[in-house]
Parts: sequence; C-alpha cells; structure tokens
Amino acid sequence: MNTAVEIFEQERRRMLVRQRTQAAVGLAIFTVLLLVSFQRSQFFGSDIGGDPLGRMADFLQRMNPGLKPELLLEDRQTRGSLHSWFYALPTWLHAAWQTVEMAILATALGSILALGASFLTAQNLMPFAPVRFVVRRILEAIRTLPDLIMALILVAAFGVGPLAGVLTLTISTLGGLGKLFAEINEEIDPRQLEALQAAGAGPLKKIRYGVMPQVLPNYASYALIRLEGNLAGAAALGIVGAGGIGIELQRAITYTEFDTYLAILLIIIAMIFVIDLFSEAVRHRLIGLEKA
Amino acid sequence: MSRQAYDQALAIAPDALRAPWTRRVRDAFLLILALAALVGMAIDLELAPGALMTGFAKLGRFLGEMVPPSSGGQSARILKALAETFAMAFAGTAIAAVVALPLGVIGAKTVVSNPVLHFVFRRFLDIFRGVPALVWALILVSAFGLGPFAGVVALALADIPNLAKLFSESLENTDPKPIEGVRSAGASPLAVMRFGLAPQFAPVATSQTLFFLEGNFRNAGVLGIVGAGGIGFELDERIRIFAFDEVAFIILLYMVAVACLDTLSRSLRNRLA
Repeated sequence: MNTAVEIFEQERRRMLVRQRTQAAVGLAIFTVLLLVSFQRSQFFGSDIGGDPLGRMADFLQRMNPGLKPELLLEDRQTRGSLHSWFYALPTWLHAAWQTVEMAILATALGSILALGASFLTAQNLMPFAPVRFVVRRILEAIRTLPDLIMALILVAAFGVGPLAGVLTLTISTLGGLGKLFAEINEEIDPRQLEALQAAGAGPLKKIRYGVMPQVLPNYASYALIRLEGNLAGAAALGIVGAGGIGIELQRAITYTEFDTYLAILLIIIAMIFVIDLFSEAVRHRLIGLEKA
Repeated sequence: MSRQAYDQALAIAPDALRAPWTRRVRDAFLLILALAALVGMAIDLELAPGALMTGFAKLGRFLGEMVPPSSGGQSARILKALAETFAMAFAGTAIAAVVALPLGVIGAKTVVSNPVLHFVFRRFLDIFRGVPALVWALILVSAFGLGPFAGVVALALADIPNLAKLFSESLENTDPKPIEGVRSAGASPLAVMRFGLAPQFAPVATSQTLFFLEGNFRNAGVLGIVGAGGIGFELDERIRIFAFDEVAFIILLYMVAVACLDTLSRSLRNRLA
C-alpha cells in the first residue's frame, strides 16, 4: 500500500519536473526571440526618437480632421466642415467602385479557373496521378507567394492600372479556391457518379450531372467568402499601382494629408462592410437552399 | 446515355431530365445578365486585350530572366532582411496578442453580459477587421519614418481586432464546469483563473496566435514595399531595376522560409491541440 503511494508520488514528481523544464525552456526560447525581434525591428530604437507611445499620440493627432460642430455643413473652403474633409468624395467613390469591380471580376475569373483546376486535382475525378501532382504543386506555389509581390511583378509587366490588379487577384483566387473546390469534389457522394457511369455517361457528362448539382452551392459560398477577402486585397493592391482606391491612399500620403487618409480609410471600411453584408445575405440564402 | 434510353426516360419522366422552359429561360437570362455585367466592368476598368498581350510577352521575358536565380553577391544583406522580416512578424504578433487579450476578455459574452455593450464593442472591432496591414503601414511609415518600426505597428494594428474576436469566442466556448469545480474547492479568484480557466483557454489562444504569426510572416514580406523594412524593400528595389534573377532568388528564399515557419508552427499547434 505504502509502496504504491510512493511510486505514484515519485512518478508525479518526475512528471512535474519534466513539465516545468519544458515550460522553462519554452519560455526562455520565447523571451530570447522576443528580445531579438524587438531589437532587430528597432521597436525601441533611439535613432527615431525613442518614446513609441508619444509618437503614436502625435500620429493620431495628425489624423484628426479638426471638424467643428457648428461648421459641419459649410462649403469646401471652410476648414472644419465635412466637405473640406471629404473634399474629393466623387473621385474617391469612383475609385472605390473600381476596387469593387476589380474584386468582382477577379473573383469570377478566378473561380472559373479554380473550377477547372479542381477537377484536375480531385482524386475521384482525375485518375491520372501525375496531372494531379503537378496542378496541386502549382496551386500550392501560388498560395505561398504573397499577393503583393505578385502584383509588383505584374505591374512591371502590364503597367500601372487595374489590369495588373485584376490579374493578381485572379491568380491568387485560383490558388486559394482551387484547393478548396478540390476538397469539396473529393467529398461528393460517389453513388451518383456510379449511376451515371452505369448509364454510359462520359467524363464531361459525369461532371455536369453527377458532380455539379452536389457541389455548386458550396462552391458559391466559398467564392463569396473569397470576394470579401479580394475586396480588402484590391484596396491594398492600389498602393503598388494596381488600380483602385489604393492609389488615392498613396496620393494622400504623398501630400502628407493624414486627415484625407483617414477619410479614404473610412470609405474603404464602409465599402468592405457593405460587401460583407451582401455576401453574408447571399450565403445564408444558399445554405438555406441547400438544406431545402 | 444512349439516345434510345434517353428518349425512353424522357417519355416516362420529362421533369427529371428537363427543367420547365420558364426556368430555363430565366436561368439563361440571369446568366447572360451576369456575363454582361462582367464585360461591362471589364470595359469600365479599361482592360484592353492589346495590353494583355503585350503584358504577357513582357511577363514571359521576365520569367525567362529569372532562371537561373542569383543572389547578386548580396546574400548576407538578403538574409539580414529576411531576419528583419521575421523579427517584424514576431514582434507584431506578440504586441497584438498582448493588446488583444484584454479586448478579448471585454468582448466575451460571458464576461460582459450586457447585450448592448457587447454588440457595440464587437461591431467596433468588426469595423477595423477588414483593414489590411499594408494600408496601415503606408500611413505609419509616413508618420514614423522608414524602417521596421512602422511595420511592427502595422502588423499589430491589423491583427488586434481579429485576434480579440477569436480570443473572446474561445473564452465564450470554455466549459464552466471545471471553473465551478475549482471555485467550490475554495480557491481564490486567481487560482480559479489559473486552474479552471487557463488550462482550457491558453492552448487555444496560443494556437490562434501561432496561426497569426504564420500569416504575419507572409504580410511582413510585403510591407517593405511602402518602406516598412524587411525583405519587401529588397524585392521592390530589384523589381524596379528589372534584376529578375535576384528577384527570383529572394522569392525562392522567402518561400522556403515561409514553408519552414509554417511547418514548425503547425507542429507546435498540433502539440497544443
């Protein structure tokens, strides 16, 4: 009896020591990494004046548009009115609309390409293994490459403008959705495919009547989520010259108009918010339809 | 399906094989409408086929120049930039996690039970969730000057609302029974947190933070484009002078680093789960 308790206590002590050593080593590694990171990233670097919090406060101060409640509805020339803060609203709204168009076009094109790719990578639809392997690796490579690096190269090739942005987002959508679509394809009910096979349908007919009806709602749902992501992406792409509202952000910074930057940022946030609401509503309808 | 079998099936159950003509007309109409809208958008964006062709020709030439990749004799500098990129990602994620933790606690329904307050706070976080790190970086570089500091703050700002949301959701999903158990044993509030809440919450939160570290390493790679330090700056510089062999070298190195960090982080996350 006594020995059993002793053995248990010994075992427990050993476990505690092991756990504590693990925790201590983990903490040590984490601390070293953190210190080195802060040092390398010059977080408390004195060459930019030290005092990070003071600089943050100053920065927020500069973003303040200085609205005056009694002057809100005055004209553009009056400092402190809404009109002088959002002084180029029509231009910005047009740029925002262009960003939306870029995101929609890229999502549509990317989804179509991803559709094709997903049939080439799904185990149950593409019997030829080397094709699966190659297409999978290509999709993986696209996913590892950050969008903006791709955008830089495409802007160099296709010139400044929305074309480079649409292409970038199309390619990155292909990479992301291709994988997700392939996963959906692999989870379909095989009996419908077998039935079509038995009826003598060819591969295209099998896809049209055996796969499509099962996967389309899921596809659409994923594509809509991707649309939300692409919209934020398209807003950022403009900064490197790939069209849309990002160009306006870049311009505001060139003239160090921090309050203008805030105004455009608010437009971007509103734009993302509206598209999110729209996409969520459509997705919920799709899920409802699927259940019915 | 053979023609004969099809005809037979059509005679027995026409609805199963062919949708009613009203629906087919409607579907076709919607399809044409969608296509017209897409074409209209393409025209509005001035996406010219000619520009596409010349662009692809140029892109082909760039890709040709990428082989063989070359470090241009600057591997030390490039490795240093890579280390800086990781440092930015790590510091940014750490700051984001530290700031997001109290915000996450406030955002949890189980902590702040007032539905109006909860709703307002969550919406406030939602507003900023969509703003990409690069958009923050652009203005922060202008405010704080060139260098990784702006990058760290940009990454943290972009992550805080997202992490706070995830934290509060995982706090809401903790099982109250162990907490009650510890409390009924007469433990102090601190001990309740330590032995009732932390064992449930800490692994999930750590795993979420690691996931954000992976994402931030990808994001940090591009912040240099607007001057916020790291590998993006080196890349941008070389793309501007069309030194595509060096561009390919940096991209390959960076992709390998991303894959390494992903693997490491995934194995850590699997151990936590």
